[in-house]
Amino acid sequence: MTTINLDQAFTAALDAARFQDVVTSTPDASIRAKRQAAFDAYQTIPMPTARDEEWRRTDPASIPFGDFDLLPALRPVAAGAEQELDTLFDVVVTVSERGYHITDRSGLLKSGGLVVCSLDEAAHQHAEAVARHVHGPALIEPNRKFTELNGAFWNFGLFIRIPAKAEIGKGVLVRYRLAKNQALLVPKLVVVAGEGSRANVVEVFESDDACPVLCIGARELYVGQAARLQLFGLQEWGRTSYHIGEDWAQVERDAQIDWVTLTLGTKVSKMTMGCDVRAPNANAYLSGLFFANRDQHVDQRTLQQHSAPHTYSNLLYKGAVKDQGHSVYQGIIAASPGAIKVDAYQMNNNLVLNTGARADSLPGLKIDADDLKCSHGSTMGNLDPEQLYYLRSRGFSDAEARKMLVLAFFEEIIAKIPYEFLQERIREDVHRKI
Amino acid sequence: MPNLETDSKLVSDEYKYGFETVIPQDSFPKGLNEDVIRALSAKKNEPEWMTEWRLKAYRKWLKMKEPRWADVHYPPIDYQDISYYSAPKRDAANAAEIDEEMKRTFERLGVPLHEQNALAGVAVDAVFDSVSVATTQKDKLAELGVIFCSITEAIHQHPELVKKYLSTVVPTGDNFFAALNSAVFTDGSFCYIPKGVKCPIELSTYFRINAVDTGQFERTLIVADEGSYVSYIEGCTAPSRDRNQLHAAVVELIALEGAQIKYSTVQNWYAGDDEGRGGIYNFVTKRGHCRGKNSKISWTQVEVGSSITWKYPSVILEGDNSVGEFYSVAFTNKKMQADTGTKMVHVGANTKSTIVSKGISAGQSRNSYRGLVHVLPSAENARNHTQCDSMLIGDKCSANTYPVIECENHTAITEHEATTSKISEEQLFYIMSRGIDEESATSLVVNGFCKEVFKELPMEFSVEAIKLLEIKLEHSVG
Repeated sequence: MTTINLDQAFTAALDAARFQDVVTSTPDASIRAKRQAAFDAYQTIPMPTARDEEWRRTDPASIPFGDFDLLPALRPVAAGAEQELDTLFDVVVTVSERGYHITDRSGLLKSGGLVVCSLDEAAHQHAEAVARHVHGPALIEPNRKFTELNGAFWNFGLFIRIPAKAEIGKGVLVRYRLAKNQALLVPKLVVVAGEGSRANVVEVFESDDACPVLCIGARELYVGQAARLQLFGLQEWGRTSYHIGEDWAQVERDAQIDWVTLTLGTKVSKMTMGCDVRAPNANAYLSGLFFANRDQHVDQRTLQQHSAPHTYSNLLYKGAVKDQGHSVYQGIIAASPGAIKVDAYQMNNNLVLNTGARADSLPGLKIDADDLKCSHGSTMGNLDPEQLYYLRSRGFSDAEARKMLVLAFFEEIIAKIPYEFLQERIREDVHRKI
Repeated sequence: MPNLETDSKLVSDEYKYGFETVIPQDSFPKGLNEDVIRALSAKKNEPEWMTEWRLKAYRKWLKMKEPRWADVHYPPIDYQDISYYSAPKRDAANAAEIDEEMKRTFERLGVPLHEQNALAGVAVDAVFDSVSVATTQKDKLAELGVIFCSITEAIHQHPELVKKYLSTVVPTGDNFFAALNSAVFTDGSFCYIPKGVKCPIELSTYFRINAVDTGQFERTLIVADEGSYVSYIEGCTAPSRDRNQLHAAVVELIALEGAQIKYSTVQNWYAGDDEGRGGIYNFVTKRGHCRGKNSKISWTQVEVGSSITWKYPSVILEGDNSVGEFYSVAFTNKKMQADTGTKMVHVGANTKSTIVSKGISAGQSRNSYRGLVHVLPSAENARNHTQCDSMLIGDKCSANTYPVIECENHTAITEHEATTSKISEEQLFYIMSRGIDEESATSLVVNGFCKEVFKELPMEFSVEAIKLLEIKLEHSVG
């Protein structure tokens, strides 16, 4: 095997010429300017390597970037078949390699009670919001190759705006399903939750095991004053697929974000979730569930940034590894100078179900202020033998007892999802993996 | 209520070990190359194999790059601007006599070199700049077969032991500073505890950097043979100067089957002045190897000095049922920077490790805990418990925690807990309401915070550590 320079191999496909194609197919000038700025940054930032601390446990070379082709910008297409899940939501967005479709199930879009549209369209009708939020201030960590890549090359952009004081009863579902071999999807999601609004957004990523895809996604979530946003991301790409996600949230005064990340799919996932509670009384609840079995590799990094005093964050990531699965959790709680009266917590629990599987946990604290309370915890271990024994003594087989305990371990996270149908689906998926 | 938010003026606490001893020094000119190493080796009258060993390490070092990943900041070190050998000149006529001036120095430091004055139960090896000046209580130890001498002496008198164990825990090319140390180390202590011997007295080394522009490169090797036990204490000080000095030590501990080593350090190198000028760069590689079954290595450290501390006393738990412990108090003040922690590598079955780390940051200092717990697939039933707590005094300091936990065995259990918070106002208020002033109250709370670690220290040392912390805390409130 010849070693190729990853940077060259990757950027050869996503180079200036390719970028020109993307720019020409972008109708709006303000979006073009944003893409250009991102592209300029993307070009100057070197491709991460396994020598970078963040990528030390997930070698970028393990993702065969060169095998994937950027899909052309997605256009609106006719609606596909409705799924049972769809009926639980007000608005359903379906995305595939053929294009996307937005279904206004309860007439909210028509009445103006909610905005869900493509970023290109939003640039026309909500120019000011787009100018302010797309590839905007939520990106608190500079020099990130894949965030900039996403900003330059996104081929599907979705804009969700919840008007001030609006309460969206059922929520928005964004369903990605790819069935094209070697497709590279670069989705960008921007959610702007207006003052005092309430809404749920669910994203589901799916593909077949036999159909390898690469997804390089980025989310920007802006939670306005006193708003509450619940975001659920269920990542179930097929076992031959790859996912890189760099997601950012900004939470304003008195606002709250509940952000649940469920990672069950792909061969290799590398995700970063950064949340800035940036004004007094801003709250962030970050939860995660991940399960790597067979040859899966899941690497998740979280950042709880406290840049204002009197802010609160609570993180709980629970994971299991089985077979040759390898999971990595890296977490940082960062308190800026002056961020006093902060209360931050971070917990990472891991189940290592057999020798051969591996879990790495790197919880971290970076504290530059004094009057606060920040703590983290991390545990690793197998199922409790006493609990197993108890179940066995009640007549359950070893396998049944194990499944039950693993599900019970995850239940704390699953219960946070306010859609029973989805809960059940996740339980089944976990069940299948045990 | 005590007001801690206001500019906590950390008025210079008196560094009472900051004096300089005026004594004729025999130093090498600054600079480092193969000739310097040969000259150094010749000076110490070392056998050929040792010279070769040093040169090999030097050649490795030349190819290495200085690591920069630690959370500490300092200007580049010019390795050619350091003198690699400095020793008090001895009168050729009575070379065996210890210089009176130096004797006084160690007395001022509280290290008695006269055996009759010796603190009962402690054998001391005192290292002044580059050479070991005296080792006390030798005869008593010899009766038991315990070897406790300077490493230079060991190279001459026990070459077979040195050859067998030196650099088997920290290889010469382990890291940049270990390689440099291997090439130029000047002195240090060597201990060998024979089979089944419980060393009845505590062994201690006192390190003192005196000369200007020298680096101290100490090398310590402790071998505890089967079923033996030893408690070893290390203390360090240096004069106050406005230039930085480098201290790059390597300490290797080897515990064979059933052996126990307890290693305690109180590090009080000069930490620089209020503006962060001067002070010691303390870049140290310390590693223990539980080689045999049922062995145990325990590190206890109280770090209150050095402008920059960068060290991770570690234990490789290879023998089944072996135990590793790490108890640490790291106090930083003014512009001090500390990046310290431990590594516990679980290789054998039923291995256990405990980590308790207490960080206290005051002034504008930076204090980081960095640790690794690695459970290899072979470590059945391995168990780790880690607790690291940080306390912040003042709003200009920072405390960071970077633990890494890697688990590759499904029967292993690891737990990690960390907290960072301000010194509790409620506790302070309670104590002050009993009529105790704020400074004493702070000191009491901090001592309570560190208690878990202090209780692991040998008694006299524990008392000293508490005192030391009290002095360091003076003026750090209000």
